[in-house]
Amino acid sequence: MDKKKILEDGLLEQYLLGELSHEQEILIQKELNQDDDLRNIFEEIEQEFERIAFENAIPPPENAKKALKSSVESTKENIQIRDITPFKNRNIFKTDRFAVAASLAFLFALSSFWLYNRWQSSEENLNSLQQQTIALRERLMILEQNIEVTTQRYMTINNRNVIPLLLKGNQTLPESRAVAYVNHETKSVLVNSQGLPPLEEDKTYQMWADVDGVMINMGILPADADLIPVKYIDRAESFNITIEPAGGNDHPTVENLISNVLL
Amino acid sequence: MAADSKDTEYINRLLNGDKNALYLLYDKYSGALYGVILRMCRDEDFAQDLLQESFIKIWQNIGNYDSEKGKFYTWAYRIAKNTTLNSLRRSSPLIQTDNLSVYENKNVQLEIKDYSDLNGILAQLEPQHQQAINLVYFKGLTHQEAHKAMNVPLGSFKSYVRQALLKLREKRAELSMLVLLINVCGHG
Repeated sequence: MDKKKILEDGLLEQYLLGELSHEQEILIQKELNQDDDLRNIFEEIEQEFERIAFENAIPPPENAKKALKSSVESTKENIQIRDITPFKNRNIFKTDRFAVAASLAFLFALSSFWLYNRWQSSEENLNSLQQQTIALRERLMILEQNIEVTTQRYMTINNRNVIPLLLKGNQTLPESRAVAYVNHETKSVLVNSQGLPPLEEDKTYQMWADVDGVMINMGILPADADLIPVKYIDRAESFNITIEPAGGNDHPTVENLISNVLL
Repeated sequence: MAADSKDTEYINRLLNGDKNALYLLYDKYSGALYGVILRMCRDEDFAQDLLQESFIKIWQNIGNYDSEKGKFYTWAYRIAKNTTLNSLRRSSPLIQTDNLSVYENKNVQLEIKDYSDLNGILAQLEPQHQQAINLVYFKGLTHQEAHKAMNVPLGSFKSYVRQALLKLREKRAELSMLVLLINVCGHG
């Protein structure tokens, strides 16, 4: 709370007079504890109001004090029961038993609360561990799948019947490289096209097999793929790669031939 | 907060159940509190009952007094004020804080005893400053109620209270200087 606002709004006076809400009182007390200057101002206000009260004091009649004493004496037992010296009470034993029971109940409540907190903490840890386990399992599945795919590919291209063929780029695209793995026994062809440069979005690489001078489509080649299966064509004499419109072409654009290898 | 050393002694004794400490506090503060209570309720018999009730409450609740929050008298004043206002609301529906017309008519002071006359340096202040202190301190009105009673904006009323306290301090300082001079001249 702003000190200037406290002073301008007369909050110290209202605090002294008991006009503020409980929450406002707590705020003011906090400010008074933190600001010595404000505290001094409050003490001056307190002092002033007290002086005003004393200057305007009206002595009560004598019988008022007698009435007070009489009232205090008559409520003696009540006061003692709840006062701060319980040892004057005759029922010491019962009071002690109650105190012991209350202490035990308090300790029990305290330990219950502590155990509850530990239990909640354990639950949270358990949930967290379960989440981690699920995540690890999923990761493991993905890795296992990847290993299987990799193993299969390795076995595919490492087979003694597999013939690797390098498709080097010609003068049209000299930097391009692709490798075709041909297995005549299983009639399969896998192509590693990672060496092919990227193309515009409206173009794609396409692979062709030359059979008696006729170009037969083997499939589309994405530019940076690892191992792509393409169609095996019987009696192919050569493999050829051209650049075609995206989606492929029915016949090769000969001017766009970038690579060729004889089988 | 620094409390008077005597007050601290009485309070500690009271906390230990020494009722004589209560009577000592009564001797010291009953006049100031009675002056407040009587001006609020304007009935002597009622005021005496309320004074007694206030000191019983002081005795029963002395464990709740926190010297860090203010002086003992401030705490006792609040008990007396709340005891009086609560009793007034219970006993007479006409004497409610909403019925502020009695404070608007200055002539009404002639109808009641002189309990509302103010003394000391407060009586030397300008009327609006006296009235402001009178309403919130001796009549127990809140700032909100009092500014309506004086028919001035709340901001103006808060200024009256602030100015009144400043003027009182100035006048006390002047008086202290005067007393000092008189003493010096007297000895010289």
